[in-house]
Amino acid sequence: MIEFENIGKKYDDQNALKNLTLTINDGELFVLVGPSGSGKTTLLKTINQLVVPTSGTVKVDGEDVAKTDLRQLRRHIGYVLQTGALFPNLTVAQNAAVQLDALGWDKKAKEDRISALMAKVGLPPKTFLQRMPSELSGGEAQRVGIVRSLAAKPKLILMDEPFSALDPVSRRQLQQIMIELHREIDATIVFVTHDMHEATLLADRVGVVYHGALQQVGPPNEVMANPANEVVRQFFDAESSGDRLLKQVLVAGLGREKQPGETPLKVRNSQTVFEWAGMLERRADQLIEVDGRVLTIHDLLNYVARLGEESDHDQ
Amino acid sequence: MITINELSTYLAKNGNEILQALWQHVEISLIAMIITILIGVPLAIALVNHQRIGEVILQVAGVIQTIPSLAVLGILIPFVGIGTVPAVIALVLYAIMPVFQNTYAGLTNIDPVLMEAADALGVSRRFKLFRIEIPLAMPMILSGIRIATVLVIGTATLAALIGGGGLGTYILLGIQTNNNAALVVGAVLSAVLALLASLLIKVLANVSFKKLGIGVLVVAVLGAGVGLGRQLLAKPHETVTIAGKMGGEPEILINMYKDLIEQQDPAITVNLKPNFGGTSFLFKAVTSKQVDIYPEFTGTVLQSLVKTSSGVSHDPETAYQDAKHDLQQQFKMTYLKPMKYQNTYALAVRSATAAKYHLKTVADLARVAGQLDGAFDPDFYQQADGYPGLKQAYHFNLRSVRTMEPALRYEALADKRVDVTDAYTTDPQIRRYHLVTLTDSKSFFPPYQGAPLMLANFAKQRPEVVTALNKLAGKISNADMQEMNYQVTVKHRKAATVAHAYLKAHGLVN
Repeated sequence: MIEFENIGKKYDDQNALKNLTLTINDGELFVLVGPSGSGKTTLLKTINQLVVPTSGTVKVDGEDVAKTDLRQLRRHIGYVLQTGALFPNLTVAQNAAVQLDALGWDKKAKEDRISALMAKVGLPPKTFLQRMPSELSGGEAQRVGIVRSLAAKPKLILMDEPFSALDPVSRRQLQQIMIELHREIDATIVFVTHDMHEATLLADRVGVVYHGALQQVGPPNEVMANPANEVVRQFFDAESSGDRLLKQVLVAGLGREKQPGETPLKVRNSQTVFEWAGMLERRADQLIEVDGRVLTIHDLLNYVARLGEESDHDQ
Repeated sequence: MITINELSTYLAKNGNEILQALWQHVEISLIAMIITILIGVPLAIALVNHQRIGEVILQVAGVIQTIPSLAVLGILIPFVGIGTVPAVIALVLYAIMPVFQNTYAGLTNIDPVLMEAADALGVSRRFKLFRIEIPLAMPMILSGIRIATVLVIGTATLAALIGGGGLGTYILLGIQTNNNAALVVGAVLSAVLALLASLLIKVLANVSFKKLGIGVLVVAVLGAGVGLGRQLLAKPHETVTIAGKMGGEPEILINMYKDLIEQQDPAITVNLKPNFGGTSFLFKAVTSKQVDIYPEFTGTVLQSLVKTSSGVSHDPETAYQDAKHDLQQQFKMTYLKPMKYQNTYALAVRSATAAKYHLKTVADLARVAGQLDGAFDPDFYQQADGYPGLKQAYHFNLRSVRTMEPALRYEALADKRVDVTDAYTTDPQIRRYHLVTLTDSKSFFPPYQGAPLMLANFAKQRPEVVTALNKLAGKISNADMQEMNYQVTVKHRKAATVAHAYLKAHGLVN
């Protein structure tokens, strides 16, 4: 568990973080999301004290990080940077084992662990272990970066915009790897991104950071459907069009008043039209109730038809 | 110019000495570089996180580098003496700038993301320094070391000026005695050495860090072993250090001193430092006890070293007595009895010029001075007993006058680029270029007789040395000296051989 209590950070006269309080639970993949310069990376770095907050405390498993042996703490925290940040003078194997060396793992255990992780992220160990970072593509380097962060079996992994610099194909592959890894390993992951799509794809919960303050915390679809304020709404606007939430069906002007005698299925506005279509497939006359409005199969057909018109206009 | 033939003859004759000088050069440069690296690299590492101090050190190192190396050598003599030590110190002072600067820049220019990664992963301080920072800065560090090495090998030629030896000895000798073969040998070898060293470092750059470290360690241990062994093997001899000014004549003289002293007392080892430097350099070296003896001229003593109230006498005996007295009074120095020959100034012209204008004396020259161009050595051009006094005494003015290196002015005269130069009466070039020296009928030039100069204390403690050197009193005529100079500087025979031959012929040694 990570507890931020009234975290503030000042650079000269600028407040990078303003009195921010947040708790991240064990085992969850928590995504800090927000535009660049919002303070999300600064917040992330207070966890391993790469940034020392001006005020407030950060606790990892109940222990104030400002009072612990920093080097020991960091050796047990996985860290992934934007560009992979592999040391260019060390081989892939040496890079991946940096924390294991610091922790004094023996050679055999080290090699086994790294090889297993390499295979897991899709880099055949035989081919890659002895390569130099200069011989890797951006995606490959970042995979090694992930292996390095996982090597010491950390309970906590920090990822600072790890996929932002990658091409779309690599990014999608790595996001998929992340989803699988999160399922397999029992670690808390704090993930920073400015990409809303990535946030909604990966997060158990997101925290929206803007101007150094936490705007809203919650599961991504909840936040998307019920933005706490204008800032969050605008931020999610572009993203929600892709996700097709029931909320957007209502915004499009569809749905009607509930009529007496009807017993529609109550659903959350953060559920998607795809889930809705699934229900209708099982029972074509299923009515659903979203935020007090009733939606029928006709509304779905109508909504999909309008989407078609929209994309025609786009062309 | 110089022919391949001359060069190969010179190499064949002096091969051993040249090799020794080459090794000496390598030794001085290597020691200087090892010290430089041992200081520069750790200093930069220590200061990388103290930016302000780092900048200050950069400034200081930069300033040191702007001081001419010759001046640094001069400043160091009173503190650390002469020989290899001050040469190495001066070289280190020069080389430290590029090494420190490049190491500092290499360490501070590492991608901050990598430093952040290292911190975030919790690596140990040692791992961060030795596995990440130094390897990443290594190309910069090595290029700094390469620059410094080339600089050191080049500058090490100046070590010869203060008795440090090395290839510079041949460059100085070449300039001083107009011996192009020596000049070429010294210059080319030091250039080749610099290139090879630069290449070697480039190659070593691709060797792994570990192997490099082991290699350096092995070389250091071997070097220390050899040095220690040499010291242990060296017998506890009494040594007397004798230095001479630039040129062949002083070298012949100090070789005679050596022969005479070692014959007088075989227990004494005489250490010779030929081509050691100019007058003030040598004089300082004696007062600071770095050199025990050097031959000096009465005229020079009176003109440049002591303060005289009475002016310089034109009678040789009076001049010697004045010089001896003033040296004793003002510097507590003993000036032994002079040799016979006079190495005084004279004006020299080509024999064709002399014939054309009927020149025999300086007074003859005064008649036609307005049609002649002169080239003088800088001392002669400035000193009161040189050109300024001479033109007053004889009332003349040359059409033009420029200053020129002593060794070059004869060539300029022979090539008809000038018509008049100053000359020393024992210079072999007078014979070589068939020059005519003009008689100083007004006895304007002061007498210049050579005699050994030393501290009075030294003379008191070493009566046997004094006895040995006094055997030369009143010996060696002008013609003898001219002939010996001719043998050494024109015929390129060894000074030691020529000196020994003279002593033997005159029954001064067995």
